[in-house]
Amino acid sequence: MIAALAFYVFAAILIGSAAMVVSARNPVHSVLFLILAFFNAAALFLLAGAEFLAMILVIVYVGAVAVLFLFVVMMLDVDFAALRGGFQRYLPVGLMVGLVLLIELGLVLSGWKFLPEAASIRFAPGVSNVSNTAQLGRLIYTDYVFLFQSAGLVLLVAMIGAIVLTLRDKGDSRRQVIARQIARDPNHTMVMMNLASHVGTKDLGYLRPTETEPEEAGDMPEQDHHEHAAQDVARGGHH
Amino acid sequence: MLYSVAIFAPLAGSVIAGLLGRAIGERAAQAVTILCMLLAAACGVTAFVQLVYGDAEPGVVSLGTWIEAGSFHVDWALRYDTLAAVMVAMVTSVATLIHIYSVGYMGHEPRNTTWRFFSYLSLFTFAMLMLVTADNLVQLFFGWEGVGLASYLLIGYWYDRPSACAAAIKAFVVNRIGDLGFALGIALIYVTFGSVEFPVIFGSVGQHVNDTYHLLGAEYRSLEVIGILLFIGAMGKSAQIGLHVWLPDAMEGPTPVSALIHAATMVTAGVFMMARMSPIVEQAPDALAFVTFIGATTAFFAATVGCVQNDIKRVIAYSTCSQLGYMFVAAGVGAYQASVFHLLTHAFFKALLFLGAGSVIHAMSDEQDMRRMGGLWKMIPLTYAMFWIGSLSLGGVFPFAGYFSKDAIIEAAWASHTLIGHYGFWCTIIAAFLTAFYSWRLIIMTFHGKPRADHRTMEHVHESPAAMTVPLILLAVGAVFAGWWFRDQLVGEDWREFWGDSIVVAANNHVLTDMEHVPGWVSALPSVVGLAGIALAYLFYMFMPALPVRLAATFGGVYRFLLNKWYFDELYNFLFVRPAFALARGLWHVGDSRIIDGIPNGVAAMTADGSAQIVKIQTGSIATYAFAMLIGLVLLVGIFLLFR
Amino acid sequence: MTNWTTMNWTLAIPEIVLSCFAMAILVFGALWKRESFRMCSMMAVGALLVTAMLVVSNSSGIGYRGLFTNDSFSGFIKLLVLVSSALGIIVSLDYAEHENLRRFEFPVLIMLCTVGMMIMASASNLMTLYLGLELQSLAIYVLAAFARDQLRSSEAGLKYFVLGALASGLLLYGISLIYGFSGSMAFDRLATALSDPTKASPGLIVGIVFVIAGLAFKISAVPFHMWTPDVYEGAPTPVTSFMGTAPKVAAMALLVRAMATPFGHLLPQWQQLIVLVSIASMLLGSLAAIGQTNIKRLMAYSSIGHMGYTLIGLAAGTAVGIRGVLIYLVTYVFMNAGTFACIIAMRRRGRMLEKVSDLSGLAKTDPGLAAALMIFMFSMAGIPPFTGFWGKYFIFTAAVQSGLWTLAVIGVLTSVIGAYYYLRIIKVMYFDEAHEAFDPRPGSLTFVGGVSAIFTTVFFLFPAPLVGAAEAAARVLFG
Repeated sequence: MIAALAFYVFAAILIGSAAMVVSARNPVHSVLFLILAFFNAAALFLLAGAEFLAMILVIVYVGAVAVLFLFVVMMLDVDFAALRGGFQRYLPVGLMVGLVLLIELGLVLSGWKFLPEAASIRFAPGVSNVSNTAQLGRLIYTDYVFLFQSAGLVLLVAMIGAIVLTLRDKGDSRRQVIARQIARDPNHTMVMMNLASHVGTKDLGYLRPTETEPEEAGDMPEQDHHEHAAQDVARGGHH
Repeated sequence: MLYSVAIFAPLAGSVIAGLLGRAIGERAAQAVTILCMLLAAACGVTAFVQLVYGDAEPGVVSLGTWIEAGSFHVDWALRYDTLAAVMVAMVTSVATLIHIYSVGYMGHEPRNTTWRFFSYLSLFTFAMLMLVTADNLVQLFFGWEGVGLASYLLIGYWYDRPSACAAAIKAFVVNRIGDLGFALGIALIYVTFGSVEFPVIFGSVGQHVNDTYHLLGAEYRSLEVIGILLFIGAMGKSAQIGLHVWLPDAMEGPTPVSALIHAATMVTAGVFMMARMSPIVEQAPDALAFVTFIGATTAFFAATVGCVQNDIKRVIAYSTCSQLGYMFVAAGVGAYQASVFHLLTHAFFKALLFLGAGSVIHAMSDEQDMRRMGGLWKMIPLTYAMFWIGSLSLGGVFPFAGYFSKDAIIEAAWASHTLIGHYGFWCTIIAAFLTAFYSWRLIIMTFHGKPRADHRTMEHVHESPAAMTVPLILLAVGAVFAGWWFRDQLVGEDWREFWGDSIVVAANNHVLTDMEHVPGWVSALPSVVGLAGIALAYLFYMFMPALPVRLAATFGGVYRFLLNKWYFDELYNFLFVRPAFALARGLWHVGDSRIIDGIPNGVAAMTADGSAQIVKIQTGSIATYAFAMLIGLVLLVGIFLLFR
Repeated sequence: MTNWTTMNWTLAIPEIVLSCFAMAILVFGALWKRESFRMCSMMAVGALLVTAMLVVSNSSGIGYRGLFTNDSFSGFIKLLVLVSSALGIIVSLDYAEHENLRRFEFPVLIMLCTVGMMIMASASNLMTLYLGLELQSLAIYVLAAFARDQLRSSEAGLKYFVLGALASGLLLYGISLIYGFSGSMAFDRLATALSDPTKASPGLIVGIVFVIAGLAFKISAVPFHMWTPDVYEGAPTPVTSFMGTAPKVAAMALLVRAMATPFGHLLPQWQQLIVLVSIASMLLGSLAAIGQTNIKRLMAYSSIGHMGYTLIGLAAGTAVGIRGVLIYLVTYVFMNAGTFACIIAMRRRGRMLEKVSDLSGLAKTDPGLAAALMIFMFSMAGIPPFTGFWGKYFIFTAAVQSGLWTLAVIGVLTSVIGAYYYLRIIKVMYFDEAHEAFDPRPGSLTFVGGVSAIFTTVFFLFPAPLVGAAEAAARVLFG
């Protein structure tokens, strides 16, 4: 009874927030509603006993994807008004197509019935005394290892694609070379000097790396070699 | 293995010369094709010797499956039996000589253009070899069409001459008429026998002897219909009366082409096919009678026309026509062996004559009209001697090659003891007389008497280069000895052993045996009329040159009838060409401009409109595209729900 | 718990080896300091050939608990895909040099895409089907946008990606409907469950319609074709060449297998949809190409039309029809690869040309290229004895045998309309005024064009091995 009640509550909020995602005027609100929708979907998974999926949904979608969306929305200067214009222009057509599709699917689903054999050919549910994380793990690494590896390849392609399409090696870009970082000798990068007390230092302003060694420039937190640098300025890369 | 090399070496030469000719230059192209041909000739002759005198077994060299569609099965395969081996040996050796000869003959052509010519020559040879080695009708047809294509290319080699183009087209079109018959014949064979493979067909002839075929309410024996259809194909290729009109015009090509087409290869394809299909046609007596009739008529008709022609190559061309008639007479009376024998000797002496004529034309700075020749025999003695040998052989004088083969045919015609056989006998006897007459008319007009050409030409007369004379001498050897050497094996006592299963004769066919026992006057008659023809030619053209002129004036009608080749071209022009043009013009004006153009132009306009409309929705907007997809999906689901 | 021998994991060795090669080349390219594009490409071609040999020697069977099937059908498709991928890499060699696209990721992406297509060919479960398709598509999205500094290219990639995602969505929805209504995603179980067509519920059939829509997008059949002209035009030409060959083959194979194996008993239900899509594709392909001046767009419409003809064979729903489909695909791959090799050779003073009018008078300036392009155009127009004719011949024969006269008639009519624009290209090349000659053509393009032209021309001499293999492959699906 409580489970049913919870289901309807979560489902209602899920649908409501999904509707808000598309209709909210402020894009930041849209993303926040999306996060709410994810949470509710996770709750529905929990109700169905799929705690692993619920956690994954929260961690991956809320923790990573939605936050990424938020960054994008906030940082990129997207003209949402123009997008919305397109939305309104296509709305009538879209509604009509959607409506016809809905009617058609309604007609189809009204005849919902299981095949007599359906129950027999459906995979047997998992063993009851094993958590579904373990069950999923067993399935993925045994019966579905082929699909698992294929999915891995899909991700590999996505990664290569992202790099190919966006990485620009401009020559002056800053890249971390760990070996050089570790091999660094403090004597070359730090100047110790005595300062008279109560004198203070001059305003050093914002330290920038020297341009004398373009090869090295991007390699590591840059040190200031100037004589007036009084302390270890370990903050490179703020550019 | 050797055998495959013999077949495919010319193809290799052709491909190399054709594709790379421009790059490697004409000398290299000539060298490559000739080397390939020499290789082919060596392998071809060896394969023949191994089969006939050695211990090689006849068989089939399978190269792979060509078409496999249900019960219709065709292989690429080379048939290796006596008939094919004889043809391969003959074709490769004669073609090799012609290749070599062409180097000299085409020497006056502009630099670096003749690689095309050599490529075509080799391609032609290859197609002919495919034809003779075919193990099924489809491959035979492939070679058959390949020969047609290559001959079209070769006749039209000088494509900047309108007459050459017209001749090439004429050859192509007339051959298509014959091919139609051949193709129908193949189709009917497939319907009757359920296969196009020779072993299957020949093996089951016995079961289909009494099959009938219904056409327009009447009932015919299938084998008769097949025989006649195949012969119609042969008529086109071998220039038999009715479909012969392309052959004299084909003289527009370079002379080596004439030698290749008229001597060794293309025109003999029809004769070869009759011999190859002997198991079938042997069961079709009515078709054979038709073959004899056409062959005999052609032999007579072409010989009469040959007597009054003035173009040196045309005389030889009509002579070819006539000799092919002889071969069909032999095939028609069931002496296929004799027809192939004559084919073989004819290849040698006719190639000799053509190449000799080429040598004359070469010497006379491309003059072909005999009325403007004369008095050449002291200037080009070697060519003169070659012409004598060729003519003696063609005229059937003992002991030259033509004597044996022609006599065999004439005796076989007599020995068949049928009405149609006797018609063939008398036609060939008259033709033998005319043959000797026009041959010596040619020799006398060309080589004797006063020079009738202008001074400049006469000063340039010279014996041809070695590249041309050496092939002539080799061919002359063949023209002298081939008959004497092969007679006993091909049509004499040893013929069963020689031919093996490659030519099949029916149980009641004793022509080859009977022809050994014909009355003495029958075997003597050809020689007698031949010598009479020679004597008449000497009388007319050497001693009393005024006589032929007076005769021509007296019998003007007959002379013009012959000069115009029995008015065949005019008849066809009147019957087919002009009505076709009129019909075409009518269709063009009314049908094409108004109806055909009208409808497609309308349709085209509609199409263009439709095209514009379709392209219009291609706006480039992703949203439009996505909606198009979704609407398409909704439509598909809707159609499914409504009409399932 | 799992016995590896019962998994038959060796069946997927070609796929495994190819992906290992791809990753090795990726690592090599990333670590190699100097220019590595050409070397990586060569290695990729080598890897594809090795894989092809493995495919030939691999055994048949079902592996990975029914997720993966090897049979003569999948072998046929895999070989064809591998060959066309290799051709795709070869034509890109010199183009990349000129257009400053020398990046070793290019061959790697093509290889991973090929892995995806091989998985598609062997899919015997809706999940395998989907993953193979995504692997293939994702690589192609990236490849289409590979010339990222050109607006056209990145637009093409983005457009293809967005629409492709929509198509994947449709496909997934269809799969979920099928799963929901039948309870399985394995092809053999579905086939058993649907052995009595009267019991198939409408929901399941609608699921099939969605699946058809998703796959029709990949083969760019009407009405899911809208992306094709824009993406073909925008993508770098070697990518267009690749996109037009291997993925089409794989997607068509997938459609054929999906329709034939699990839903074979529902033939009457899906047949009419395939017929409709086929007619629409043939009509649009031949009509819309007429007005095109850009040869890449023209080829896009041409490929839409060709896919329409191929679908006829599927609509026939017999082994003869599938045999026709396979033969058509082979001929199509070679015609297309050859034509695109010719298009890539269209370069004057270092600049790529794409207009049909740029070809004018080509017969005088470069007779070899003109002759090759003429062979391909004749073949596409379906003129004997070139392969295009035989492909159409086998397809139309199958349609007539199955009684689909309408399809055959419309097919012939649209080929006649289509011949118009193919022949127009020949006319432009042979009868129009000559322009300045093209730049010298690199050997790689001559190789691809030459091989394709020779295949297209001499196929009719030895069709039997190919027809035999196609026949054997088709018998797997329709016994």
